[in-house]
Amino acid sequence: MSKIAVKVDDLTVAYNYKPVLWDIDLEIPEGVLMAIVGPNGAGKSTLIKSILGILKPIAGSVTIYGKPYNKQRQLVAYVPQKGSVDWDFPTTALDVVMMGTYGSLGWIKRPRQKEKKAALEALEKVGMLAFKGRQISQLSGGQQQRIFLARALVQNASIYFMDEPFQGVDATTEIAIINILKELRKAGKTVIVVHHDLQTVPEYFDWVTFLNVKKIATGPVKDIFNDDNLTKTYGINFKVSVQE
Amino acid sequence: MNSAQIEIQLIASLVAIACAIPGTFLVLRKMAMISDAISHSILPGIVIGFFITQDLNSPLLILFAAFTGIITVILVEYIQKTGLVKEDTAIGLVFPALFSIGVILIAKNANDVHLDVDAVLLGELAFAPFDRLLISGVDVGPKALWIIGVILLITVTLLIAFFKELKVSTFDAGLAASLGFSPAIIHYGLMSVASVTTVGAFDAVGAILVVALMIAPAAAAYLLTTDLKKMLGLAITFGVMSAISGYWFAHWLDASIAGSITTMLGLLFLMVYLFAPSKGVIAVMYREKQQRIEVSLLTFLLHLKNHNELEERHVNHLREHINWQKVRAKTVLELALKNNMIVVDKNIVSLTEKGDTFTSKAIDYIITNEDTQIEDMKDDFFLFRG
Ligand SMILES: Nc1ncnc2c1ncn2[C@@H]1O[C@H](COP(=O)(O)OP(=O)(O)OP(=O)(O)O)[C@@H](O)[C@H]1O
Ligand SMILES: [Mg+2]
Repeated sequence: MSKIAVKVDDLTVAYNYKPVLWDIDLEIPEGVLMAIVGPNGAGKSTLIKSILGILKPIAGSVTIYGKPYNKQRQLVAYVPQKGSVDWDFPTTALDVVMMGTYGSLGWIKRPRQKEKKAALEALEKVGMLAFKGRQISQLSGGQQQRIFLARALVQNASIYFMDEPFQGVDATTEIAIINILKELRKAGKTVIVVHHDLQTVPEYFDWVTFLNVKKIATGPVKDIFNDDNLTKTYGINFKVSVQE
Repeated sequence: MNSAQIEIQLIASLVAIACAIPGTFLVLRKMAMISDAISHSILPGIVIGFFITQDLNSPLLILFAAFTGIITVILVEYIQKTGLVKEDTAIGLVFPALFSIGVILIAKNANDVHLDVDAVLLGELAFAPFDRLLISGVDVGPKALWIIGVILLITVTLLIAFFKELKVSTFDAGLAASLGFSPAIIHYGLMSVASVTTVGAFDAVGAILVVALMIAPAAAAYLLTTDLKKMLGLAITFGVMSAISGYWFAHWLDASIAGSITTMLGLLFLMVYLFAPSKGVIAVMYREKQQRIEVSLLTFLLHLKNHNELEERHVNHLREHINWQKVRAKTVLELALKNNMIVVDKNIVSLTEKGDTFTSKAIDYIITNEDTQIEDMKDDFFLFRG
């Protein structure tokens, strides 16, 4: 836990002048597998989008390994919460995964054999190789989720942001995905996941951030994942049985 | 064919290609209406450009018009961003306003300007060969051909250079942004190309045909393929086909060329809409009918699998029990027989071995949704096609 992968300072973000994130300070150490938890509308997606420069904050700053995001794009991969893509777009699963390589190609240069090979490998990893020729709207929700995971994998980034990757996926897929995420951590990558299922937090993650408009707490799961923080975050008196 | 005829077809074909390329992306971005807006609202740009240059042939007119086109897009987006109206309403607000400004400007100065509204809407393709480009006195061909040729060259170059960027930002603007391909730059780039193409094609073919050529071929191609490159290729082919057939249709009827090409585009879209193999209306209806039969078949087979009692498997009982109309029961029975899934002996129906395995596999598939198990069955059954 030496280096800081992502550092957020005094971040305030608003939609139509209504702040949804207030004065967030956050340090994410390199090599953690971190859950962001908080109720619907807490600003979890907003936080990720602001870190990635998709949204402009009204105050504060974000650095990735000490530099602004637009200098560090290559280091970051992002799996959005569903909905930002055009499902009827004429493109196949393989093609979607290939798009993950566009960032390292830069403007104008076209993907070649090498990129295609990387995409096929990623598809294999998420168990979707058999579907490589399918139009993306003809995949089930969980299969689409896996495609987006594969797309993030080919980006070969150092930091992965995933906005609810387990939404609507079955138990087998969830385990497959978490195993891939754990592998990424083992390889020294930093993985940040928006997660709703509080029961599985201690089992899946080693680091956690509680968020509800403000940052409630951030740190190792074993130290801070407790009823006190859950109650502060979710507002109601919370009792989850946390097994160690 | 004389040379004027060839030139007209060539101009129409180049316009068709130049329109199909941005048109494909407009259709994919669900922005078909914006081309309508651009084509109408560039009128004041042309008129104002004319007032300034006092020369209808000045290339500056194209710049002025393209500029108005981009202003249209910006205005539409501005109105939309207020959140008070939807995009198509915003478009509906902007372009009639700009178009009427153009018409008023023309009407006020109509005496000394050769610009009439009919020509603006329908173009003068038949006269395009008479307006020649002379370079130091040498006739190098119709001016419209040069204008659209240059625009097409620019469009194709940009398409090849930025294909990947256009694709990713159209498919997933969020990803494009996070990869460092500014969706805004690509958006305005595309809008600029659409505006310039509209303006360049406008003089030759008129506003209505420009819109039709941008949207109809791309919309038809969209129904036929799930591959962006093929969609572009098909849109271009459809555009050129309509341009040439429209020309000869007009020739035969002695009618307006632009009008005939528009008619051809309409017909072509209609045919594709009806007959497209997977997304066409007829194919969808046929598939639904097949699926209904197959679901019935499966229900029937499953019933046989679950019941060994003879009375449960009597033909008459099956009709009552599963409660189908006789016709459908007959279709299903015949389908099962034809596929060797059942045998009927003294009005008692039994599953064959093949029928038995098929039923188990199909149920397995429906429950697990695992594709690999039914690869070999896919050809026979619509039900399992994605
Ligand atoms: N485009 C937008 N315009 C205006 N308000 C928005 C917009 N997107 C989100 N919001 C508001 O900002 C707040 C935070 O939204 P955000 O999507 O970040 O929540 P979240 O924590 O990701 O929630 P969920 O668990 O439901 O995904 C919410 O109150 C939401 O209504
Ligand atoms: Mg969210």
